[in-house]
Amino acid sequence: MFYFFHFSLSGIFLGAIYAIIALGIVIIYKSTKVFNFAQGHLLMVAVLLSATISPRFGIIAGMIISIAATAFIAWMLERLTLRPLIGQPLIAALLMTISLGYLLEGGALMVWGEGLYKYPELFPTEVIQLFDMTIKQEVVWAFIAIAAGFSIFVFFYQKTLLGKAMRATAEDHQVSQSMGIRVTHIFSISWVIAGLMGYVASIFLGSLSGGHYLNSHLGLKAIPAVLVGGLDSIVGAVIGGFIVGILESLVTGYLSGELGEVVPFIVLLIVLLIKPYGLFGLIRIERI
Amino acid sequence: MVRPAGIFDVRYEQDIAVVRTIPQWITLGIFLLLLILLPQIFPNRYLLNVINTIMIVVISIHGLNILTGFAGQISAGHAAFMGVGAYACASLMIFGGLSYWVSLPLSGLAAGLVGILFGLPSLRLKGFYLAITTIAAQFIIISFFLHFKPQIFGGAQGLSLQSIRLGSIIFNTQVNLYYLIMPIAVIMTYFAQNIIRSRMGRAFVAIRDNDLAAEIMGINLFGYKLRAFFIGCFFAGIAGSLYIAFMRLIRPDQYSLMDSIWMLGIIIIGGMGSILGGILGVIFVKLLNEFILMVLTPSLSIILPREVASRISASMGLVAFGLVVVLFLILEPRGLAHRWEILKGRFRHWPFTYGH
Repeated sequence: MFYFFHFSLSGIFLGAIYAIIALGIVIIYKSTKVFNFAQGHLLMVAVLLSATISPRFGIIAGMIISIAATAFIAWMLERLTLRPLIGQPLIAALLMTISLGYLLEGGALMVWGEGLYKYPELFPTEVIQLFDMTIKQEVVWAFIAIAAGFSIFVFFYQKTLLGKAMRATAEDHQVSQSMGIRVTHIFSISWVIAGLMGYVASIFLGSLSGGHYLNSHLGLKAIPAVLVGGLDSIVGAVIGGFIVGILESLVTGYLSGELGEVVPFIVLLIVLLIKPYGLFGLIRIERI
Repeated sequence: MVRPAGIFDVRYEQDIAVVRTIPQWITLGIFLLLLILLPQIFPNRYLLNVINTIMIVVISIHGLNILTGFAGQISAGHAAFMGVGAYACASLMIFGGLSYWVSLPLSGLAAGLVGILFGLPSLRLKGFYLAITTIAAQFIIISFFLHFKPQIFGGAQGLSLQSIRLGSIIFNTQVNLYYLIMPIAVIMTYFAQNIIRSRMGRAFVAIRDNDLAAEIMGINLFGYKLRAFFIGCFFAGIAGSLYIAFMRLIRPDQYSLMDSIWMLGIIIIGGMGSILGGILGVIFVKLLNEFILMVLTPSLSIILPREVASRISASMGLVAFGLVVVLFLILEPRGLAHRWEILKGRFRHWPFTYGH
């Protein structure tokens, strides 16, 4: 029973990271209809930047620079590479984000090499005692970040003008354009928000495993989380992230690590066979 | 294709012909003769090695082109289906005791059946959802080979095989392998070109362009999507079994996600929905790869200090893939085949400028 809680706890932490990555992917998909495979790579760049800048110029400077850099990279990706693809078939956008991811990965390998960089300690090291379990502070903070992020997004999408404009864009690009919304601005804004979400995830990933250019593969594992929850649902992203994270660490703990890598994808196949649009995804009626 | 003014098809046979004119027949004949005589003209092991690899990948790419380029079902797990063919062929030979010539078509069938299995979600899923289930297929298949019964499949070390024999001929040199792979590649190209102009090929194109409209026109959507998966993975399986004859070694990491993505990149570079485009794409990518390996990396290590050079050459594969695909998607989304058509049009119409 102790191990069960232990595995679940690490699963919850992993799930929180997946959930934040998934949120970024969902926000981009909702407004631009592009699935961003490079989200994990954005996060990897953020971790590496923080890890290299913080020891020299202080933690705050590292934070500011990596926030600015991730947001800027995300904005540039949208502006330079995905904007020309509007109106192209789906596979173009798919391959574009995949190859951007590889480009970022290769760039990181070129700049930082294969070394493992130590992430600055942002969280206090003392643990919280709850009954006979020890809980790291990061886990609590990850929960707070998810809760805060989730409520901010709900408020943003429901109440603010910009949020409403983004929802309208998600519904139909042409209609919202003719209602006076600058769709291209919405695209840029959603990519920047996703870049910021990448930074938030990078804080927890950095304190979990440090900075390495292969961190980006975590983004690959967040893909089942997005689809289990539904591609265009924010609630789904959070719940899907937790489902995948907990399942992965339970299977890794009880059965084997190799199986833990595959189980999210098997769950994904089963869920999609039963509910083709994910658990919370919007079911669209197609017309010719 | 734009023809000079005044040249029309007057019979149905003319309209559907692939090779239209007598000069084209002669060119085709010369090309095939060159293919047959190539090892005699250039008895260079390195060159033949490159050509053999190109032809194996071309077979696989034809499958992906039919599945993704013509039927519109994005498959990001094509390398895994190649792996299914390779492992099926190796298992049939090692454990089934069958000869290579029997297990080659059987492995194509096996890959096709696994393709149908992972194509089943395509009835209900489309777009990104389907693309990602094929990524799931990639992960599941490869981890199956990696972790299921290491005493059979050999885990990460994989399996090694003996050279393929036919009577007294042993396929262990590049020249002999060339004569094994080349006829199959030609036959598979012939099949691919003819599948897409059959009733089935037209159904695929209709499904790609608008699947709902296609269904209303009376195309059995599910049946044709599964057929597309079967054919695409059949080609991949054949390519996979040729690859083990070529490598005499089979490991799960030869069929990684990166390879699947490369294959999607190749059909973008070559031109989606064009058999010629697939061939051009493979040649372009293979030449780029050889250029990086043979020219760029050695010259970098001369110019730059050793540590920087090794770092750059380690990341070169990723960066080259990213850059090439990004540039093609932005500048020429219709690929090399489209450029080739434009070039042909220029020659055909010269000195007039219409038609391009």
